[in-house]
Amino acid sequence: MIELDHLTKKFDSFTAVDDINLTINTGEFFGLLGPNGAGKTTSIGMISTLLLPTSGQVRIDGQELTRHRQDLKRKISVITQEYSMRQDMNMIEVMQYQGLLYHMSFKQIKEKTEELLEFADLIEFRKRKVRRLSGGMKRKLMVCRALLTDPEIILLDEPTAGMDALSRRQMWNMLRKLNSKELTIVLTTHYMEEAQALCDRVAFMNKGKLVDLNTPDGYIQNLGPYAVDEMIKDDIVSSFFTTKEAAIDHLSKIGQDTTLRTLRDTTLEDVFIQTMQAENKKIGNGRRK
Amino acid sequence: MGIVAVLWEKWVEFRRDFYKITLAAMIAPLMYLIVFGMGIQTMSHGQPYLNFLIPGVVALSTMNGSFSSIAQSLNVQRLYEKAFDQVMVSPTPLWQFIAGQIIAGSLRGLFSGGVILVLTLPIAKDLIFNGWSFLIMFLNGAVFGALGVVVSFIAKNHADVPRFSNYFIMPMSYLCNTFFSNAKMPHGVREFVGILPLSQASGMIRAIATHEPVMWSGIGILLAYLVVLSGIAMIFIYKKKNL
Repeated sequence: MIELDHLTKKFDSFTAVDDINLTINTGEFFGLLGPNGAGKTTSIGMISTLLLPTSGQVRIDGQELTRHRQDLKRKISVITQEYSMRQDMNMIEVMQYQGLLYHMSFKQIKEKTEELLEFADLIEFRKRKVRRLSGGMKRKLMVCRALLTDPEIILLDEPTAGMDALSRRQMWNMLRKLNSKELTIVLTTHYMEEAQALCDRVAFMNKGKLVDLNTPDGYIQNLGPYAVDEMIKDDIVSSFFTTKEAAIDHLSKIGQDTTLRTLRDTTLEDVFIQTMQAENKKIGNGRRK
Repeated sequence: MGIVAVLWEKWVEFRRDFYKITLAAMIAPLMYLIVFGMGIQTMSHGQPYLNFLIPGVVALSTMNGSFSSIAQSLNVQRLYEKAFDQVMVSPTPLWQFIAGQIIAGSLRGLFSGGVILVLTLPIAKDLIFNGWSFLIMFLNGAVFGALGVVVSFIAKNHADVPRFSNYFIMPMSYLCNTFFSNAKMPHGVREFVGILPLSQASGMIRAIATHEPVMWSGIGILLAYLVVLSGIAMIFIYKKKNL
């Protein structure tokens, strides 16, 4: 279990993460969503000890996580947003280095590396240097490296950023397989469909604060599971309804000359956009006062 | 185990770039020896100047080999490759990572100094290099390896390490008892330069090589530098909130 207790991170006068309280359960696939600069990566940085909090603390299974706590760090693997690997090493060397940092024997590392590279369809590229790998291959290698050490918690910071649609689907499948092994996974992403497809619960962050927390389905049910899009002036405006009948009724009232009239299922992206617009309005009103 | 991980990583780097590393370790010192030692043939204290120069260049190579192998590589890993992030989040005790870097720096320094020793074998017949010489080379490498770690942590961009080299390492190369004796410097400057680690290492290696009395207190001074710089590196790695 991961607990964030009044977690705050300031960079000089800028508050990147502002007094976050959150509990992530063991075995949960948890999503942290938010616009750029919301504080997602900073939060992951603190959960991994890469950054130290300005105040508050991170607890793993009830114990405070610090840079000294090797026993707790042993449980965590991180896949950072950037390709954090030696560019001049090949895949096998990257895995060996990781294994040694996690106190594994050369024999263990060798066996596990082959198994994981096979699992990720990377085995034929094992002697290729990192700098010569495609973005998707680097991401998969980072997942393999994270799994090498049998972690209990995996922190994934934008794991599919910059990936093409096919590679992204492959990555989703890998992540689903992992979650079925009772791993706790914390994911930050810009892709709402990714969070909707993978996460048990999702937290929305904005300007360093935790705005909302729910299951993807819970969010959608609260907003209304049916959406009607229509073109008003030059904008696409979406309306949300709790029943299909209400949505159809609204659709029938829209003028026939409207260029866009669509009935569809509400998505997590709709919820995210509505939440962020409401939040920004709230912040704007606060400033005006 | 963390020390083994770092040494293994450095070994991979060394094995891959062996020729480049060896050549880089040779070029500048060879130029010094050719230009100052053989080109401008002089005598110093009744002996050929080369006898004065070779021990100094060996100490200098140890310093350069160690500092550049650690500072540049760690800086790139921290700021560009972000590979350092994986060390920070791993369960490897961070003091072991620092110790591994310092030992790796010492070994690279020892290698650079050793290359010069091998190259000067035919012309340095009167000079003695024994176990103490190698211990001092190792210690000098450790001091500059630790300095490399600190500089790589302080550096805010890729240009900062070469800049530091320009401001501190390069002047030390010329002034610290390598090309001429500190005794000729003005009072005050002499004492300041004399206390610097390269002056101590050069002085001790030269004294051993030329059968002169050795100022063994230099080992204590090098150890003091090592402790202080390692301590600073530890504070950075454990306490700095945004490394």
